[in-house]
Amino acid sequence: MKQQLNIVVNGEPRELFIEPKTLLVQVIREHLGLTGTHQACDSSSCAACTVVVDGMAVKSCSILALQVNGREVLTVEGLAQGPNLHPIQQAFIDNWAFQCGFCTSGQIMATKALLDENPDPTREEVQAQLDGHLCRCTGYNMINEAVRDAAKRIKAQKETANSEKGAK
Amino acid sequence: MKTIITDFNYLAAKTLDEALDLLCKHKDDDYRIIAGGQSLNTAMKHRLLTPEYILDIKGVADLDYVRFDEKEGLKIGALATHRSVELSPVVREKYEVLREMEENVASIETRNWGTLMGDLCNADPAVDPAPPLIALDAEITVSAKGEERTVPAEEFAVDFFETVVQPGEMATEIRVPPLPPNTGVHFMKYSQIHGDYALASASVLITLDAAKEQCVNARIGLGGVGVTPIRAKKAEEVLKGKKITDEVLAEAARVASEETSPISGIEASADYKRELAGTLVRRVGKEALERARRA
Amino acid sequence: MSEYSIIGKPTPNVDGPAKVTGEARYTIDMTLPHMLYGKLLRSPYPHARILSIDTSAAEKLPGVKAVITGKDTPGGKWGLWRRFRELSDQQALATDKVRFIGDPVAAVAATTEEIAERALDLIEVDYEPLPAVFDPIEAIKDDAPMVHEDFPSNINATRHIEWGDVDAAFAKADYIREDRFVLEAAHPCAMEVHNSLASYDKGTGRLTVWTSTGSPYFVQQNLADALKMREGDIRVIKPHVGGHFGGKNSTMPDSVNAAILSMKTGRPVKIVFNRDEEFTTTEHRTAQHMALKLGLKKNGEIVAFEVKAMTNGGAYTGLGATTLYLTGTFITMPYKIPNYRYDGVRTYTNIVWGTSIRGFGSVPGKYCSETQLDRAAKDLGIDPLEIRRINAVAPGYTAPGQYTFESCGIQPCIEKMAVRVKEKWPKIEQDEGIGYCAFAYMTGGIFNWIDTPYAYSSAHIKVNWDGTVDLYSQAADVGQGHNTVAAMICAEELGIGLDDIRLHMGDTAHAYTDLGAWGSRETLMNGNAIKDAAAQVKQKLIDIARMKLGENIAYDFVARDKRVFLELRPERGVSYYDLVKDAIRHNDGVPLTGTGHYTPHNKGMISPAYAMGIMAIKAKVDRETGHVTAQDVLVVHDSGQIINPLGARGQTEGCIHMGLGYGLCEEMPMDQGMLLNPEFVDYKILRTRDMPEIEIMHVPTYEPNGPFGAKEAAEATIAPAAPSLANAIYQACGAEFFSNVLKPEKVLKAIRAKEAQNNATSQAKK
Repeated sequence: MKQQLNIVVNGEPRELFIEPKTLLVQVIREHLGLTGTHQACDSSSCAACTVVVDGMAVKSCSILALQVNGREVLTVEGLAQGPNLHPIQQAFIDNWAFQCGFCTSGQIMATKALLDENPDPTREEVQAQLDGHLCRCTGYNMINEAVRDAAKRIKAQKETANSEKGAK
Repeated sequence: MKTIITDFNYLAAKTLDEALDLLCKHKDDDYRIIAGGQSLNTAMKHRLLTPEYILDIKGVADLDYVRFDEKEGLKIGALATHRSVELSPVVREKYEVLREMEENVASIETRNWGTLMGDLCNADPAVDPAPPLIALDAEITVSAKGEERTVPAEEFAVDFFETVVQPGEMATEIRVPPLPPNTGVHFMKYSQIHGDYALASASVLITLDAAKEQCVNARIGLGGVGVTPIRAKKAEEVLKGKKITDEVLAEAARVASEETSPISGIEASADYKRELAGTLVRRVGKEALERARRA
Repeated sequence: MSEYSIIGKPTPNVDGPAKVTGEARYTIDMTLPHMLYGKLLRSPYPHARILSIDTSAAEKLPGVKAVITGKDTPGGKWGLWRRFRELSDQQALATDKVRFIGDPVAAVAATTEEIAERALDLIEVDYEPLPAVFDPIEAIKDDAPMVHEDFPSNINATRHIEWGDVDAAFAKADYIREDRFVLEAAHPCAMEVHNSLASYDKGTGRLTVWTSTGSPYFVQQNLADALKMREGDIRVIKPHVGGHFGGKNSTMPDSVNAAILSMKTGRPVKIVFNRDEEFTTTEHRTAQHMALKLGLKKNGEIVAFEVKAMTNGGAYTGLGATTLYLTGTFITMPYKIPNYRYDGVRTYTNIVWGTSIRGFGSVPGKYCSETQLDRAAKDLGIDPLEIRRINAVAPGYTAPGQYTFESCGIQPCIEKMAVRVKEKWPKIEQDEGIGYCAFAYMTGGIFNWIDTPYAYSSAHIKVNWDGTVDLYSQAADVGQGHNTVAAMICAEELGIGLDDIRLHMGDTAHAYTDLGAWGSRETLMNGNAIKDAAAQVKQKLIDIARMKLGENIAYDFVARDKRVFLELRPERGVSYYDLVKDAIRHNDGVPLTGTGHYTPHNKGMISPAYAMGIMAIKAKVDRETGHVTAQDVLVVHDSGQIINPLGARGQTEGCIHMGLGYGLCEEMPMDQGMLLNPEFVDYKILRTRDMPEIEIMHVPTYEPNGPFGAKEAAEATIAPAAPSLANAIYQACGAEFFSNVLKPEKVLKAIRAKEAQNNATSQAKK
């Protein structure tokens, strides 16, 4: 029997009726049409499907959607502020941190959760955060550099915002 | 290989009492309990499990805790995630070995949603938390409506993917006693790929006497080298009552590896895993000894 | 490099904004109104005759719209070796018998994926199991089961290469060693699985297929063969592709059956393989046996080399026969080998088939030859880097009948490596070692097994009134960054910016032919075609500029920085945008166009150019667990003129990741033809914490056959990773390996074998 699911996705409240067996990734991709979140395995082993739920990076392929009822979900589509890319997205572009791009939204969302918690991670800390993410293209090093570059950009952005506030 | 979960009836509990009521009611049905579901959902996708009922306890807030008191030690509720154990200040301060273990459990995404108890209940023989919990002499509380029993960590799993938890029951709490003085504990797992399932894992606890000379207690938990995680009791006896030297550790490692009964797989043979368990016991034991001396 | 304004500058990916926002659409993300979901029923037997198939129960399941078996298909066979029709051996659904576990026997289209999956369980197939063969050595025995009745010997392809007088040279060699190797299979593991969406228009009889492929052209040709349709009635579109690595050259049953189901139902049909199907039924890097005999002079000079290869081909051909051919070629590079003989055999067996995975023809072979060379060097007391320097070729080197290196920077690469290794790793600790491997790889395969009558690559451009440029080509960006390279080449030639270029790539209806992304061909071949097209437009602009400025016809113009100006007097010039307007006016309102093409001529049958270099890996071995850690990697690379340094680095990093995986942990163990690790849980690929940092240095050369002097950067550096690692362990502890996949247990055994050997030797000395 279908059940009601109320979630906030990328800031928008959503009300759906779903089969209880529906996984979060199916809600995101099939019900909401947010196809930026990808799935690259059937065994919870690749983390391509990573989204942020209430600030935590989680694998959307391994969670019953009903368990997320009442929570906030952020997907890659919700990261950019209007026409402006998020600094993580820009850093991924500038550092060639993706090639085919299929696992990228998962890497980016895990990075978002990491940098919210740890604004200045070391190479090793980035590796620890992203260790579950399989990437067949990059060899990971350029992703790691992008994450640390993103951290710098976010810091600079905050400093600019603070000094502007100060000026006012 | 199938990849779509079969239909099930979904029942969710918000409190422990509700959960136990549901379990009592569906005791004779084909059901599975889901907490984080980090292993269960995949098993259902692959049709290894096709339960008629899913009892969702993820929302049971009264079991989501990590607490400590000096008398009773550490208590981890069934709904505490791996990540909350990893980040718990008291775990960091009093049970460093659990944090070390948690840092290498699967991926951060899995740890954010999956529970430590759920991992134990899944009962993969290579489950990371089991060896340190065995070494720490932890107990697991198993509850049913109006009943409760405790089981030592080393007796919790009874076979491949099977635990002592019976129909109508659920595991509710892990209790880790306070560490005695002069005690050191360490854990290591080995996998060729970082963060992967352990080919073998070992945790060793060593308690020294007041002079920090003789070993007065030792406990050894091993993972991945049998159908369940095991406690290497004979190897513990090798350490007890002795001044631990490299030779004594080597002997304990040899005995420990004889206590294992690993299964050959595509990654490594049983012989390799047996030897690996010994190597880990020696390395982990050495570090546990250092920690006991510093404690 | 300052002569270029765009080429050689680190340039972010032109697909970047789409890929970081989730806007990039892959085939797997696509749906069409009224679309059905297709699924394939696959054989559980490695080899069996199909006695009967009963689909009636499946057809009755509500939601099922079509169930087809082999007899319902148009019956055309297809393959990439179209030139030899008997090697067009793939078919949509098995008719008479199945040849591997996973061979499709029926297909279903239903309103949901779940119904389609359920319908598969309702199809009853009666099989008569047949004896099966899984190993190439068994396959060529007289009494072996026949995989294909028209190939009684099970031999799918053979290759013989010979030059010089091999036997005479061995007779005179100071030192000869023979080694045998067994190389494991590996899967490309693209993150996006094979999947296709087909839409057949009943009214016109035309078919459109969106598919995750490396070559829309191959798919179009193969679909035409499979469906017995005209190629012009089939449009193949390649959306963004989530990884290729050589596993997406062949046309697979997803696109063919989606097309047939769409024809049957009149509705769009999408077929997506799950990861298990991806591992068990799509193409992989071939497992093979190899035997090498090497003859040297005392000073380390190679005098003779003999190679035998037997590849475990599997059930069908794919590009596996090409892999066999190239193995005999690439194993000789980049060394002077005066006398050489190669004999290769590819057998049909009852497993999923092997093909052209990244670095194809070089990865298994180089593992053997470069680990053998290290052992030879040790026996002769020669430094491993020195033996490579002694034998490395010079520019202009020709292997008779095979290849010529026009640009060739291998010697300077080795010199640079010698210097850098001393600086970077002055001290080697206990149980550490440094291993080397020199390498070379084709830049664009010339072989034409697909039998195309068209130019190998073409591109056309249309320049609009406002100066924006539409660039059309079938060339395939599969993640390697070719779209960025294509835009850069076009912009450089026209002297404009990347912001002026709009790409329309990978669509057979919009562009002339390009053979796709394989054999490291897009930069050179498609680059040359784009440069040709752009040069034609540029010439038109120069003509107008010359008229406008009234310059002496002897003066040369250049197009740069969005202007066309006199080379020697840059202040005399005209804005590109103004010139475009004048040119269109001058051309009776027709936009400027250029149609460029490239087909190599007089360059032999392998490749017009070769990238090359040398790799060094510092590694450590744990003598108690057998764990191998790749600590640090150095590469010196001659990739010609680098077009995009960011992309070139990305390709090299990715190659080393995949190459180390081949050396450490990737394998496809099978039991009676059944793959034992068909999920990422058990098929291990290296994760971020397993990857060392990589330092890449370049020795720039100018390749006369490449656009702006460019050579490939996508594949050459995969082959050297595993042998460099094995050699590092050999240097660290003497352990020898005769197969890839240095799993800890294998390493431990090799260490113990070496220790036992050392003990025996020292005992004997006493």
